[in-house]
Amino acid sequence: MNVIEVSNLTKTYTTHKRGSGFGAAVKSLFVREKVEVCAVDDISFTVKKGSICGLLGPNGAGKSTTIKMLCGALYPTGGKINSLGFNPYADRKKYVRKIGAVFGQRSQLVWDIPPVDSFNMNRAIYAIPAADYKKRLSHLAALFEIQDVMQKPTRVLSLGERMKCEFIMAMLHNPEIVFLDEPTIGLDILAKTKIREFIREINAGGTTFILTTHDLEDVQQLAEHIIIINHGKKVFDDTLPRLQHYVGERKIIELKLNVPLTIDIGKELNARIIKQPSPVELTLEVDTASTPIGEFIAALSRKTNFADIAIKALPMEEIISQIYSE
Amino acid sequence: MFFSIYKSCINAAFARASAYRLNFLLSLVITLGFNLLFPLVTVLIYSAGAGFPGWGFYEVLLMQAVFTLSNGLAGVVFSGVLWATMQHVREGTFEIVLLKPTGPLFFLIATNFDEDSLGLLVGGGALFAVAVVFADVSVAAVPAFLVLFAAGFCVMAGVNMLMAATSFKWVGNSRIPEIFDSLLNFGKYPLTIFPNAIRGLATFVIPVGMIAFYPANALLGNWDWRTLFVVVPSILFMLFGVRTYQKMVRAYEGVGG
Repeated sequence: MNVIEVSNLTKTYTTHKRGSGFGAAVKSLFVREKVEVCAVDDISFTVKKGSICGLLGPNGAGKSTTIKMLCGALYPTGGKINSLGFNPYADRKKYVRKIGAVFGQRSQLVWDIPPVDSFNMNRAIYAIPAADYKKRLSHLAALFEIQDVMQKPTRVLSLGERMKCEFIMAMLHNPEIVFLDEPTIGLDILAKTKIREFIREINAGGTTFILTTHDLEDVQQLAEHIIIINHGKKVFDDTLPRLQHYVGERKIIELKLNVPLTIDIGKELNARIIKQPSPVELTLEVDTASTPIGEFIAALSRKTNFADIAIKALPMEEIISQIYSE
Repeated sequence: MFFSIYKSCINAAFARASAYRLNFLLSLVITLGFNLLFPLVTVLIYSAGAGFPGWGFYEVLLMQAVFTLSNGLAGVVFSGVLWATMQHVREGTFEIVLLKPTGPLFFLIATNFDEDSLGLLVGGGALFAVAVVFADVSVAAVPAFLVLFAAGFCVMAGVNMLMAATSFKWVGNSRIPEIFDSLLNFGKYPLTIFPNAIRGLATFVIPVGMIAFYPANALLGNWDWRTLFVVVPSILFMLFGVRTYQKMVRAYEGVGG
């Protein structure tokens, strides 16, 4: 069952172009050239209930604009969004009761007071019954192990502690969909791990997550459905395993040789040399669709004398950067 | 429901404002001091033997006290909306406001407490107490005064909402309050000293006369039931401010992600 259905979503902005320097600044006081920017260009997709969907794309691709439209915070220029049966921007007040959001770079906590006071404020705003609130807060705080942290002013908390509190703030009213916009940005590995565990735990209860991130570890560990946006257009919409094969059936072969090569291995084995840090260390990329891996290894054994070999899948960074550069 | 949200948010807003105690107390004292100096010009005018035709010193003081009270009260409730809107729009964080299941205007009113205006309110109250003692005030006119004062509060609310709405278009323009303050200046003096055209404008179009002139005049016994009709433009002005703000929210475009 789909919880989100997006069709032909478009968002254009009108902005002003201005050159640099004093002359351009003076000129802009009198004449400004209007520029129309298409941030999201006719994209359509669906998200299944209870899934974790990764929305990826390079900076300026239109991910955050899409998320904001899905949250009802921005009005689309065109197209339709049906999320939980609501039109997010037309039914905003009813709709946002059922969603939560964590923006890694925008805090919902009140800076000068302890997070628990911000949580209390949200309790009133979302009309959460006192007993439910108490139970849920204690459950969420226990998951993150931050019972003491919640009593300190937000401004003295570490980034990791603050992000955990942001998650609690977004989850107190038990939302059906949670939008996460770069939730692990700037966090250390321990905090990231804790947050990923938290997301998995909440997701197991049936909550749908939409995640935008530049951290591919987040994607690999959490998302089963990936949507990639580039220049405002959707360029990929499928499962994570399919993404791994999107740029072909390619493998990375890391070799340690006993003796330096005397042949042009790229040409002889129909492979691409990615790096060669020394005469006896070599990394190759092989397209197994044209050269099956068995045949490749057999040919490699015949033509080289290697001491060690590692066969790896194409790294996610490589796949994503190839898609971004298309 | 609204009361419960407002109470909870205002508790948080007050806690935030008082988190830095010295700043809180200094702001209060400085604003109070400046506003006690506000009627100094009136004192100088009347000491020099001049004055506003038909108005005695304590009558003008009463009017200015009502203006300060209204300004302080509106400041405590609404002033934070302007600065919060301006900051959210400039930094692209207004979506945080839109994520709450309340009207953005209500949320910002409830979560922003302007401690500076508290000084204005206390100062206005002190001036009002002095003026009431020395001016010839009609006790029977107190209900009419309260109605007209409430209407003046509506005008102040409208002004604050229009200022905040403007900040969606004039992003980061910190001069917005000064533009609106110059309009409010007409409300600080008796309308009778202005030409009829300005009187009409300040009563029916941008009813700044309702902030202090009409309530003070009523308290001095100069009113009849027809005066109450000028409440209507004040309410319409506030509704215009609310509507404009709501429309301008649609213009919000965020910043690059």
